[in-house]
Amino acid sequence: MDSKPFAEPSGRPPTPVKIVIAGGFGVGKTTAVASISEISPLTTEAAITSVGAEVDRAAQVPAKTTTTVAMDFGCITIDEEVKLYLFGTPGQDRFGFMWGDLVRGALGALVIVDTRRIDDCYPAVDYFEKAGLPFVVGVNKFDGSLAHDPADIRWALAVAEDVPMVIFDARDKLSVRDALLAVLRNTFDRARQAAATT
Amino acid sequence: MSDRDPDVSLLRPYLMTSGRTQPVDDTLEIEAQVMSSRLGAAAHGDLAFERREIISLCRKTMSVAEVAASLGLHIGVARVLVADLAALGYVEVRRPGTRLAQDLSMIERVIRGLEAIR
Repeated sequence: MDSKPFAEPSGRPPTPVKIVIAGGFGVGKTTAVASISEISPLTTEAAITSVGAEVDRAAQVPAKTTTTVAMDFGCITIDEEVKLYLFGTPGQDRFGFMWGDLVRGALGALVIVDTRRIDDCYPAVDYFEKAGLPFVVGVNKFDGSLAHDPADIRWALAVAEDVPMVIFDARDKLSVRDALLAVLRNTFDRARQAAATT
Repeated sequence: MSDRDPDVSLLRPYLMTSGRTQPVDDTLEIEAQVMSSRLGAAAHGDLAFERREIISLCRKTMSVAEVAASLGLHIGVARVLVADLAALGYVEVRRPGTRLAQDLSMIERVIRGLEAIR
């Protein structure tokens, strides 16, 4: 491979845009990315170094702990100049360091909810609310059914009335596409409202 | 808690980046696009290990995250190496626009692109 001559780079690299897909472990993030991504979802590791609560008495400094978290991602070509990345992240409180990186410049977020474990998505909802990133709640239909009524899910999540909620199937490409469109339309509406009031 | 010794797992990345854990440009986005430059192609033979692999890999434009995944690098390490290569002019980096979530024309463009998926 290294002996091959370099091809002349043709044109400019595309402009990247991204949507964050968050939710607890096993909620369907990787499945959703795989359903619509042009490439097989890739996994990369991101270590999170956080200052632990325990103090190392010998050194009198807080002990540092390092956690490694796998982040899955995929991409979709929008047109010749724009490429959409989907980053799936296990939205846990202790991965705080990662959130800033993921959220900076994102077009919006899809918070995937498994109705059997609703509280798994609380950290993601909290973070996006604080960061001001527009998000949509996506309720994943496991085995084609919902364990709870959508109104009950909204009540349990305690999200604002104006946060859209969609019910989708992470295994179905067009269903994932529609969930992502809901994310973009929500961001668009908020941006337009913000522009109108300034 | 991981049962791996963090000192062991972090040693190699530490060596690869010459002891730095902060990239030259610490705001390089994980979705930023990386493409090898002519200068990088010319320097290719003089580079070693991961830097050389990145120049080879980025003949085809890809994101920092894809570089990390393709080379099995920790994303923080890939970001440091790419930022270094960019500082040397060996790769060209296309970063996302600012305030994208307020960019109505860009959001519409992505909506149209997604709607075309069947």
